[in-house]
Amino acid sequence: MIALIPPHHEPESTSTSLAQSGVLVVKRHHVLVRLSHWLNLPLLLGLILSGISIYWASPIYQHRPDPNTGNFDVAADIGIWICAHVPGQHHYPSPPDWIYNHMSLGPGMLALALRFHWLCAYLFMLNGMVYVVGLVMGRGWRSLLPRRGDLLDAFRMFRYYLGIPFAKLARREWSHRRFNTKYNALQRAAYFSVPLAGFVSVATGWAIHKPMQLQWLAALFGGFDAARVWHFWLMWLFIFFLVPHVILVFADGWDTLRSIIVGWSTKVDRSEAIANEESGEEAPRLPCRATASDN
Amino acid sequence: MKNQEKKRQGFLAERPLPTIEIAPRILHYRTRRDLLLFGAGAAAAVAGAGLLLPQTTLARIGVRRNINARGKEWLLDKALRIDDDVAEALYSPDRRVPTYAKSQTTPIKNNYNGATPDPGYIPGWNLTLEGLASGLSISLDIRKLRNRFPIHEQVTRLVCVEGWSAIAWWAGLRFDDLLRAYPPKSQAKWARVESSVNLDASGNPDPYFVSIDLSTARHPQTLLVTHLNSHPLAVEHGAPLRLLVPVKLGLKNVKAVTRITYSAEEPGDYWAQFGYSSYDGI
Repeated sequence: MIALIPPHHEPESTSTSLAQSGVLVVKRHHVLVRLSHWLNLPLLLGLILSGISIYWASPIYQHRPDPNTGNFDVAADIGIWICAHVPGQHHYPSPPDWIYNHMSLGPGMLALALRFHWLCAYLFMLNGMVYVVGLVMGRGWRSLLPRRGDLLDAFRMFRYYLGIPFAKLARREWSHRRFNTKYNALQRAAYFSVPLAGFVSVATGWAIHKPMQLQWLAALFGGFDAARVWHFWLMWLFIFFLVPHVILVFADGWDTLRSIIVGWSTKVDRSEAIANEESGEEAPRLPCRATASDN
Repeated sequence: MKNQEKKRQGFLAERPLPTIEIAPRILHYRTRRDLLLFGAGAAAAVAGAGLLLPQTTLARIGVRRNINARGKEWLLDKALRIDDDVAEALYSPDRRVPTYAKSQTTPIKNNYNGATPDPGYIPGWNLTLEGLASGLSISLDIRKLRNRFPIHEQVTRLVCVEGWSAIAWWAGLRFDDLLRAYPPKSQAKWARVESSVNLDASGNPDPYFVSIDLSTARHPQTLLVTHLNSHPLAVEHGAPLRLLVPVKLGLKNVKAVTRITYSAEEPGDYWAQFGYSSYDGI
């Protein structure tokens, strides 16, 4: 598997002098995967901000109008609660708009938010295609496929991640089962389901956008009104994914972050382990320390 | 059989990641280059956001400077035009919208944007047709409309641009029948459907008008409605005649239609003036 790329450096592969000065890197992410990964950040931000501005015009979660204020929007209630209970927010000029002023482009701008949402949505769909092309060209798609035993392994990894801070505080050794794949089961579950959620978000978006011409699609999600609920909660899935995603990447360190920017990782042991597995050898199941490589 | 299973698994099985050996300085060079590119991309994204975000949003995050980019409106309008083209491509004159049972109807709210007009206009109401092949201007009262044309019933969903929807039981004549009885001039592609009784929020006259392409007007479920839930339309639902065009957003469903003008060129549209789509196909 070891190939030497830069031609002007091309030594004999047996050359020991260069093997000593050379560094082994694993090509983890295709350039199109890296590009589309990062483009998701501004695009999803734009979609969420404009999406909540669109939500403002007709909130999914409503109640009977309050006899005093006339308010019927649960999001406005939350804003009112925040302004009443959160220190420093007591003098906020328009409590019902708090959520919309902090989590959207703003209230009362439906036309603009719709245009903004379409712009981001078309770019998001294009970006999704770029991602799929990158997965195929870089042959990374197989690493994302769920496999038998993933559910239990994902649970073990979840327990492991939860335990890291306590293990560090107690200076105890804390290990997880060694895996010989690109991702551990929990990562695989996340990196498989988030693109899937992106696809379903787009599908529910079309179901809401064209409920008559694409009536089969709206029916698939239980009709126009139900498709709106799907679309709304899929947004939260992205937000909930982002938090542990960012924490874990930073906890894991520079090599992992670099691999999604530069594409290369200098952690090569796991890919060799896969090679061993292919050749029929069982990879050793060793405990690793909490500080050891995982991402 | 077992062999086949193994082969399929083999196709889906994870492959080892490609490993290469490089000089450390190549790794450093690549890292530096890509970080610089990444930084440039991040800066471009921030600048793009600064150019695209509405001024009120920017002001809230502390950007006081007035960024009035001409490209902003152009880009957002471009996205809207592309979306309209997609909507037009998706439209099929033969595709019916889903219909419901009468028991499935839901309350439909009065979504008059301004004040609801005083019902005083109803007795003197009539519908004027212009841009006809005959060159005449035709005026029809509600009795003539109801007696002359077959009445069709349908229970369909009205979808508002705001996001709410309502299922209602409507009855009225087909727009297509009106078009056949009073054909528009041959080059006509559009109808401007207008209500002169529309009011703004403070109760002043604010004529409401939308553009409807004739392909949509000829759709068998596009009606000129006289009844809702078997009762004549109430004033808040556009008595005595409203446009019902279920393949378009609610805002195209003009209440209290007073005039229909056919034209070759696309006529103006009330909500398009405020940055909404003028096609509005759903």
